[in-house]
Amino acid sequence: MRHKILTVDDSKTVRLIIRKTFKPFDCEILEAGNGVEGLSVAAKTQPDLILLDVTMPVMDGVEMLTRLKADPKLRNIPVMMLTAEGGRDNVLSIAKIGIRGYIVKPFKEDAMIEKVSRIVDLKPVSDGPGKVRTILDPIDLLVVEDKPAILQQFEQGLKHTPWKIHGVASQGEAIDHCSRSTPDLIVISLSLSGDSAFALFRILRANLKTKFTPIFALVVKTETDAQAQAQKIGFTAIVTKPIDMADLESKVAKAMNLDTSKHYFRSDGEFLIVDLPQNCSNPVLAEAAQYLAPKLAEAVDAGHSLAVIDLSPVRSLHLGIIKFIVQATQSCRELTIHLAIVGNAPLIAEFKSFEETRSWNFHESMEEAKASLKQGTHSAADAPHAVEA
Amino acid sequence: MPTTEALSETVVRDDLIRALTSVFATSLGLSVVHQDPKAPGRFAAPSPAAVPAITQVVGSVGFFGELNGVIYLCFEEVFARLCTGNMLGLDAAELLATGEEPVNDAIGEITNMVVGAFKNGLCDAGFPCKLTIPTVLRGSNVSIGPISSVRRHTFGFESAGHLIVADILMKAGDLPS
Repeated sequence: MRHKILTVDDSKTVRLIIRKTFKPFDCEILEAGNGVEGLSVAAKTQPDLILLDVTMPVMDGVEMLTRLKADPKLRNIPVMMLTAEGGRDNVLSIAKIGIRGYIVKPFKEDAMIEKVSRIVDLKPVSDGPGKVRTILDPIDLLVVEDKPAILQQFEQGLKHTPWKIHGVASQGEAIDHCSRSTPDLIVISLSLSGDSAFALFRILRANLKTKFTPIFALVVKTETDAQAQAQKIGFTAIVTKPIDMADLESKVAKAMNLDTSKHYFRSDGEFLIVDLPQNCSNPVLAEAAQYLAPKLAEAVDAGHSLAVIDLSPVRSLHLGIIKFIVQATQSCRELTIHLAIVGNAPLIAEFKSFEETRSWNFHESMEEAKASLKQGTHSAADAPHAVEA
Repeated sequence: MPTTEALSETVVRDDLIRALTSVFATSLGLSVVHQDPKAPGRFAAPSPAAVPAITQVVGSVGFFGELNGVIYLCFEEVFARLCTGNMLGLDAAELLATGEEPVNDAIGEITNMVVGAFKNGLCDAGFPCKLTIPTVLRGSNVSIGPISSVRRHTFGFESAGHLIVADILMKAGDLPS
């Protein structure tokens, strides 16, 4: 549930700063310009926290606080004073009425967030339904590793992605980096000296900015004790050395809930192209299959009725691929989409060697498949439709 | 309760310097340097014939209680815009598009924070008082004309190459002569 924070201040500037301060967090900021408005908004919206100024026209903060505490429906709303009115006596007299905190202006945004987060469980804003991040979006990846060769592996292995890799060699550099800008994901090598990898993990989790950032442990494959410890302490995922970059990408996508459909589905003019990669493992096929129905529906919505599955990079055939094609064919038939399949010669030969897939029609190039679909010579009857997996 | 003898001009000045420095550093990311009152400043006795009219934005906030008075902070309009931009994270073009209101509001809030910090120092020294709401006025060649029963302290500060003038008017009976 989205938290609601009500700022009651006669200064639009302060209200704007509050709005800006909490922009990175999933909370709704409500505004009021004086105590009367504040009570009205509080009664209507039941906010999770009120940030209350003292000196305001119409009704000041002390009177608003007094009335709030006298109202059984509003008295339990936590109130934090945010005011230029400091001084021991002022603070003590207001504290007696019942407040959860007192911030004297001027304030630093970090201090404000830290104090508010003691009352409201602030969570970073998540992208809305229309703003789902994809595997092809830029991502800031912080890698904390004291071995330059491993950092180089990250840079080389992920250079085909738009991801930005920041390599740092120590706990201190990592904290410094995170204070300047919050990475989207952090990889910490457990081979850092002493206990500093786990200490860094705890520091990052205690910091509100990185509290919810996925953190991976990087560890040698055979060091099972360290892996178990990392899992126990709460690392988001374990990446083992030597690093399998495809596996790392997949883990990053999963941890960040990235839309990976662009790996497999693209539009090419009037065609929906389904690309299956060279290493077409079952996890890869499962990932592609989850997008199949929505992507085909999107194609229909866009007025397209032609699709091609490109198997030409695939090295060898296995049952998972056959299942995927059957699933795609059935979905296409339901949506009246004409489907063609492109394969390389050895793969086509493998298909032809099985009784169930012998009759399937393949094209040896994308151009041939497209031409066939456009001319309408590709018959739906050629497509696979009766394989019992 | 402490006597007002404790509040010498030096104490008042140091308290104001502390307040201004803290607010400018925290909210605006700017440093402030107190200027020697004898050094010539742009606001010191300007000759209307020699100096073109500079639009000034003046924020004022009063305090009342064991001590009573008002503080005016005088900014050149261009510096007021710079401060507003720093405070709200807006660039010059964005500020120009928004007009005068955000600048007035920001200067009001800056003055409120400075006077609040100044007054909180007085409170902790045994002179509890409260703040009034801020007011902001604009104009060229703005001057403050205190009545005779009021003590006046004027201090000049430099920040980012601009002059800020702070005028403190306090009820004479509250302070030692």
